[in-house]
Amino acid sequence: MSFSNKCRETADACRFCWMCRHICPVGNTTGQERNTARARALSLSLVGRGAAELKGDLVQNVYECALCRACTEDCKTGWDPVLFTREARREAVLSGEAPEAVRLLLETYAKTGHIYGAEPKNKAFSDAARRHAAKTDVLFYVGSDARHFAKDKALGAIALLERAKVSFTLLEKEPESGRQLSFLCGDTKETRDAMQAAAALYSGYKTVVFYEPEDARTAKQDAPELGIAAKAKLVTFPAYLETLIGKKLKVKKGTAVYTFQDPAALARALEDVSSARAVLSACGELKEMLLAGKETVLAGDLILDRYLHETVLGMAKRRWDEAVNMGAKTLVTADTAEYLALSATKPKGARVITLEEAIAECL
Amino acid sequence: MTDFLFTQVLTELEDAVGRENCSTRDIDKLTHGVDYFWLSRMWADRGLRMPEADYIVSPKNAQETSAVLKIANYYKIPVTTWGGGGGTQGGAIPVAGGILLDTKRMDAITEFNEKGMYIECGAGTIYKHLEWKANERGYATMHYPSSLTCSTVGGFLAHRGIGVVSTKYGKIDDMVLGMEVVLPDGTIIHTSPAPKHAAGPDLNQIFIGSEGTLGVMTKAQMRIYDMPEERRFRGFLFRNMTDAFDAARELLQKFKPSVMRLYDPAETASLIKKIVGVEREGAFMNVAIEGVSEMVELEQKILLSTFAKYGAEDLGSEYGEKWWKEKITFFYPGHMMDLPQMFGTMDTIAPYGKIEEIYWAMKKAIETNFPQAKFIAHFSHWYEWGAMVYDRFIVDGKDVPTDPKEAMRLHNAIWNCGVRTAIANGGVVNDHHGVGIKLGRLMKEQYGPAMKVFEGLKRELDPNGIMNPFKLGL
Repeated sequence: MSFSNKCRETADACRFCWMCRHICPVGNTTGQERNTARARALSLSLVGRGAAELKGDLVQNVYECALCRACTEDCKTGWDPVLFTREARREAVLSGEAPEAVRLLLETYAKTGHIYGAEPKNKAFSDAARRHAAKTDVLFYVGSDARHFAKDKALGAIALLERAKVSFTLLEKEPESGRQLSFLCGDTKETRDAMQAAAALYSGYKTVVFYEPEDARTAKQDAPELGIAAKAKLVTFPAYLETLIGKKLKVKKGTAVYTFQDPAALARALEDVSSARAVLSACGELKEMLLAGKETVLAGDLILDRYLHETVLGMAKRRWDEAVNMGAKTLVTADTAEYLALSATKPKGARVITLEEAIAECL
Repeated sequence: MTDFLFTQVLTELEDAVGRENCSTRDIDKLTHGVDYFWLSRMWADRGLRMPEADYIVSPKNAQETSAVLKIANYYKIPVTTWGGGGGTQGGAIPVAGGILLDTKRMDAITEFNEKGMYIECGAGTIYKHLEWKANERGYATMHYPSSLTCSTVGGFLAHRGIGVVSTKYGKIDDMVLGMEVVLPDGTIIHTSPAPKHAAGPDLNQIFIGSEGTLGVMTKAQMRIYDMPEERRFRGFLFRNMTDAFDAARELLQKFKPSVMRLYDPAETASLIKKIVGVEREGAFMNVAIEGVSEMVELEQKILLSTFAKYGAEDLGSEYGEKWWKEKITFFYPGHMMDLPQMFGTMDTIAPYGKIEEIYWAMKKAIETNFPQAKFIAHFSHWYEWGAMVYDRFIVDGKDVPTDPKEAMRLHNAIWNCGVRTAIANGGVVNDHHGVGIKLGRLMKEQYGPAMKVFEGLKRELDPNGIMNPFKLGL
């Protein structure tokens, strides 16, 4: 095993500590002791000591984590369980011990450039890409999740940008941001290659607006940590919308009550808990959940959903419970995976909309 | 057990809880083999596998729990119940193998009763989640131990846990109204609809603290409280602990603060200096008063005048507020004792007049017999009649034997010495961490002939002796 010293040190720190158990969306949903940072750390520390092998169900367990960093955020000491989880994934992939489901996703990636396979055709989206094919200062980077599973939502976002008369470029085809390989394999050559290709694209523009927070996190945090930096201003979609509100997008404040589901990447890694709230406050009234902002609870992830579908739905259901308990009726999302999972588990009388849909309601 | 029979039992357990909730996988075995008990941690740190269960099951409710226990009884397979695994006494470790019953899927909130001021929930509910549920409606559970985020309702009940505001709100056994329990033979029972009755002994209290030896708690009605209008802190420095005890005893005849924590000079000079920043000689005491503002104002006056009589220096509110903010930080890796150190908390409880003697006797016994051990203590749960001492021994890593069996020998010898000293001076085996396998051997020394009451209950309820063997001295 070629775990880094930092990885070993972190696993040894976490292996006997349960303090972040309560915040893990996966563990809370499954109720399984193995779905804790400490269980992964303990198993890896035993691997490091020759008392267990990194294969079979031990490897499967390191993939039963959404890398949402709730545990990292919660740790008073500053340990980061994502570190050893990612290194374990890399070791598993490189040693041929990755679970079958992960291997299949990686094979699909090798063939198509996306773990989800070929991008579905959508005439309206292609038309939009043709309308915005010209090179501008601003690239609107849609990302794999919306391109594969929610093109209609991406089209809503594009329509809003058009209404604001923003000049932007939309690509018919995009390279994947590197998030998918980073999630499944950690830091490998292939991951770096993907991030490098994406960074090269971003660098051709003055500003890149990321529709998906996870892609923004990959570009703004993960890639730079590996020495891959884009020469462009990298902006999340909520932050970009905030700059348009009241200027290019004149909204009329209504009586609607919105509750924002903070995407984990946006709130924690990118530390933006204010942009979406500023937007929603301009549109209507904000009603918070008990766990909001940096304490947000992940409610969906499309990669995890490929092999832990029921668990992802369970996570979304639990989030709905929390929202409903606080009297929330309209959840607003800024992440395709969460939009889809929350839509699939929506209780009667409640609704889930995207941030741009909330704005559209008030124009 | 033959492979054939092993598989036969597996299929029956899968039938009871669902195949996805029954595991024989390596990850689940090793995960449930190590709890917060120092010996289990040391064992794993040395690259050794702890005793592991053969089957890990996660029932969703009392009915599924009942089905598991019926199977276990028929085949006479040990059953160890696991909540959060945050226990320090090895109570949840499946030392005899068999079935490990993880309760965390039993986490449903089944009733929120604002008139009766309780929440009914599954015993596998993480206590912090219960707190959030209460907070969502403006209430609080007032059970705030350092393990609040990692441990379950059932886990706290099983070992009679306690939180930092216990002096005002009580221990976990004061916070439960009723429970659903599955007996070892699979019978599902409910304790009385309300506590504090005269319909015989309180069934709740038979199962609270029984550490999974008499059955499995599957549901509980836990009390909630109004959020206090305010919570004020005050730090004090006493010249010595005797003055502090006298002051605290007098104060408790007048009213109950929520937090009272007295640190001996050694802990004041170490942990308190490190975390809270008090760099003074003497015994630091942190007090919190809370509730309705008018009452808090009055209580503060009484607090200041009472403590002034005993020469306490008023350090203001800053230290106490800092302690409150950092109260859980103490327990994160890097802030606490950790391997390769050897350490343990030998908490005990006694009336005033004995508790300080116990502290000095334990300190002397540990430091004399084990000069390699450092002894520090604080007193953090107080009553009108007495208090508990939370005394720790710490042995530096260089003095801990490298041979794990020798390390165990030293560890157990220190515990024997400390707890026997406590018992000899009027203390109890343990105050709020429980007994587990760590202190089981000392239960008979504590109770003498009274132990037969526990043994009789055990024999009657669990004639096959399957429930959490080798724990609680049963």
